[in-house]
Amino acid sequence: MVIIGENIHILSKAVSEAINNKDKTFIQDLAKRQAEAGVDYIDLNIGPARKNPEIMAWLVETVQEVVDLPLSLDSTNPKAIEEGLKVAKKRALINSASGKTESKEQTMPLAVKYDAEIIISVLNDQGIPADAEARAESILDAVSYANELGIENERIWVDPIIMPVSVDQKAVREALEFMKMLEEMLPGVKSTVGLSNVSNGTPKELRGILNRTYMVMLDLCGCYSAIADAFDQELMALARGEMSEIKELIRKVMEGEDVDPNSLPPKERDYVKTAKVLWGDVLYSHTWLEL
Amino acid sequence: MAQWKVPVEAYKGRILEVTIGRGSKAVKIGGENVFAFNQTFDEGQWPNSPKVAVEVWDREPLGWSEGILKVYGDSVKDPAQWTKKVVDELSPDLLFFYLISTDPNEEDRSPDEAARVVKAAYEAAGGVPFIVYGVGNDSKDPEVLRKVAEALKGENLLIGPAIKEDYEPIAQAAKDFDHCVSSQAPMDINLQKEMDVKLSRILPKEKIVLDPLAPCVGVGLEYGFSIFERQKHAAVSFGDEMMQMPMLANFSFEVWKTKEAKENEKMGIMWEEMTAMAYLVAGANILVVRHPETYRRVKGMIESYKG
Repeated sequence: MVIIGENIHILSKAVSEAINNKDKTFIQDLAKRQAEAGVDYIDLNIGPARKNPEIMAWLVETVQEVVDLPLSLDSTNPKAIEEGLKVAKKRALINSASGKTESKEQTMPLAVKYDAEIIISVLNDQGIPADAEARAESILDAVSYANELGIENERIWVDPIIMPVSVDQKAVREALEFMKMLEEMLPGVKSTVGLSNVSNGTPKELRGILNRTYMVMLDLCGCYSAIADAFDQELMALARGEMSEIKELIRKVMEGEDVDPNSLPPKERDYVKTAKVLWGDVLYSHTWLEL
Repeated sequence: MAQWKVPVEAYKGRILEVTIGRGSKAVKIGGENVFAFNQTFDEGQWPNSPKVAVEVWDREPLGWSEGILKVYGDSVKDPAQWTKKVVDELSPDLLFFYLISTDPNEEDRSPDEAARVVKAAYEAAGGVPFIVYGVGNDSKDPEVLRKVAEALKGENLLIGPAIKEDYEPIAQAAKDFDHCVSSQAPMDINLQKEMDVKLSRILPKEKIVLDPLAPCVGVGLEYGFSIFERQKHAAVSFGDEMMQMPMLANFSFEVWKTKEAKENEKMGIMWEEMTAMAYLVAGANILVVRHPETYRRVKGMIESYKG
C-alpha cells in the first residue's frame, strides 16, 4: 500500500511552531525520518493558511532540500496549493479537491495547469453524503467534472472520507464497501483515505491498532493508498506486505469465517477483535479489546 | 397434508432477567428474546411485560401540576405519607424515589438524613420495590447512595444513576449491600457499552439496568427512541452480551417541565402518555411516570395487550 506520511501536520503544536518560526531544521528532520521510515509521499498540511498561503512554497522547498519524494500539498486554500505547485520539483499531489463548487472552480484547474495528481473527496456542497450510494453519486459527479477539465482518471485519487468509529460505526463499514465498488465505478482511478480519522476520539493508546487494522481492511477492499502515521513501525510493515498472517486473519473476519479471537496469541487476538468492530460485527466501545 | 407453518425468525440474543425488590411484590423485568410486544408468532418469548414506576420526591414537590397535588392532598408534605398514598391509590409496580434534596446546589441534605427519609418511605410502601435516584452529582451521589444502600441492606433496590465519573463507588455500594444499579450513559450507545463493561466487572450483569436517558416528546424523543431501539437491537439481534440488560426510561421530570404540561394538565397527561408509549415500543422495560392518570392509562394499555 502506498503511504503518504502525515507527520508534518499543522494541528501538531510543534509543527505549527516550526512553520511559524520557519524552523528548517525541525521540518527537515521530520521529513527525513518519514523518508527513512519508508513513506512514498510526504504530506504537507498547513490547514487553511488564509493569511500566509505562500508558506506552502517555503515548506516545499525546505523539504525538497533533503528528501527526494513526491509531496502531497495539503490545504483547504487553493492559493496555498498553487504556491506549492509552482516550486515542486516532482509531480505533486493536490490534497484535496471535492465536489464542492468552489473546489471545482478553483482547485481542480490547478491539476491541469501544473500537471499534478489530485485527491478528490466525496464531499459536496451539501456536506458529507449520508450513505454509500450518496457517496458514489457525489464522486461520479466530481470525477466527471474533472475529466471534462482534462484530468484523466489515472491522476485522480478518490477519498471516501473516513468517519471515526466512535462516532459512526456504520460509516466505517460503508467506506469499505465503497472501496470495493470503486474500480468498477471509475476504472483507473486511485484511492486514498485519511486513515487516522478512524480512531479520532478513541483513547490515544488504542488508536494504533484501529489505524493498522483498518488499513489492512482497506487494502483488502482494493484501496490504493493511505495518509498515515509514518512513525508507526508496525503500520509501515503491514503496508509493505509483511505480517501476512495478520492480513489473512483479517480477511477471514471480513469473509464471515468463524474466528475465535480468544483462541489466538495476544497480538493476533487484538487484530481480530478490532477487525470485528470495524467490520460492524461487534458494537464499538472504548473497551473493545478487553472483551 | 402437512400443515403450512409461518416461517419463524429467531434472534441470537436474550435480555437478562433482573429482579428488583424482594418478597411477593418484587418485580421481574427483561427476559425477552424478541422486540417489544412482538410475540404474535413464535419468534420467541416475552415473559415479563414492562413495569411502570411512579415518581415520588424526598420533599414536598415544587411546581407540580395542581391535578397531581389534588390526588395526593396533604400527604406530599411528608415523603413517607406520600409514598403510602401512592401505594394505596395506585398499587404501582415500583416507586421511583428521587433524592432531589441532596443536590449540593439546592438543599444539600446530608447522606444520613437522605437515608433516613428513604427508609421511612420504604417502610411505608408495604413491600413495593424502590428505585432510588440521586441527582447525578458525581461527588455527592456516591456518599448518599452508599448510606441509602446500607440503611436498606438486602432490599434489592435499584440505585443510581451510576455515571462515567462515579460508577465505581456506586456499584460497589450496590454490591456490598445487595442492590441493583442503573448504568447511565448520555444517549450514546458506545459509551453505554463501555459503562456496562466496567460495571459488570464489579457486579453480576443480572444486577444492572440501563438508563440511556429518555427525552420526552418535543425535546428529542426521536433521538431517545432511536437509542433505545438500537440498544435493544444490539442485544437481541446481534447478541451483544454487554447490551443485554433491561432498560429504564425516565422521562416524567422532563415531561412536566414542558410549557404545555405546565399550562394544561390534560395536555401534560397526554404528553406523558405518548412519551411512555413511544418508549414501550422502543423496548423500555421500566417506565417512570408522574401523573396518576398516566399510570392508569399506561398500565391499562400494557394489560390489555397481554390480555
